[in-house]
Amino acid sequence: MLSLCLESRLEELQRIEAAVEDLGEREQWPPNLLYQVKLVLEEVIVNIINYGYEGGGHKIDVHLISEPDTLTIKIADDGRAFDPLSQAPTPDVDANLEDRPIGGLGVYLVQSLVDEAHYRREQHRNHLTLVKRRD
Amino acid sequence: MEISTEREGSLLVARAGGRLDSINAREFDDALKSAISESDQVLIMDLEKVSYVSSAGLRVILLTAKTLQQRSAKLLICSLAEPIREVFEISGFDKIIPIHADLAAARASIG
Repeated sequence: MLSLCLESRLEELQRIEAAVEDLGEREQWPPNLLYQVKLVLEEVIVNIINYGYEGGGHKIDVHLISEPDTLTIKIADDGRAFDPLSQAPTPDVDANLEDRPIGGLGVYLVQSLVDEAHYRREQHRNHLTLVKRRD
Repeated sequence: MEISTEREGSLLVARAGGRLDSINAREFDDALKSAISESDQVLIMDLEKVSYVSSAGLRVILLTAKTLQQRSAKLLICSLAEPIREVFEISGFDKIIPIHADLAAARASIG
């Protein structure tokens, strides 16, 4: 189990990354799993920092629960209500280079790399729960 | 964020190292922009020494590919670590940017 309270600024990514690397090393995660967990966390947290707030000084709570068969990532923030799972635009990954829009890949990668994703708004906070099977 | 380049005629080989993430994507973009000259027809981006790419890094790569295409030049990518390759595939980048196993294969593809 890993619990961190991050400030809403990009530099905090280094702290979460170091903590995830420690946990992955202790539990001997395969390199792919470590990479994917780091990527999922970066994408979700960057989204919250970039779009969730007007001004700084906010907190983002991150919990990572490691069980034999699954990893559960819980991220909660007090930013504006936003469900990335249904409100983020889906990129056209089959478009050719000319027509391919820039951006929109972060949430798409998250959804592709986890096995379950749930969002709820509760007590003025966004709660995102992501489950990844360890297989 | 390190990037080293080597020019052979109209071919530019750019080797990046480290992480291409939200923290240093802008630096990566600036480094590429100052390395590429108008006379470069092919850019091979060698990512062998890159350990991590997130959507912020992908964004810079896509922008670079589009900018080159606008003047009929092209981007090739080589030497992706396995988890990074998977991210390229999920994003559909393997359909819009030629990806080669190593630098030799990328060079061979341009004849």
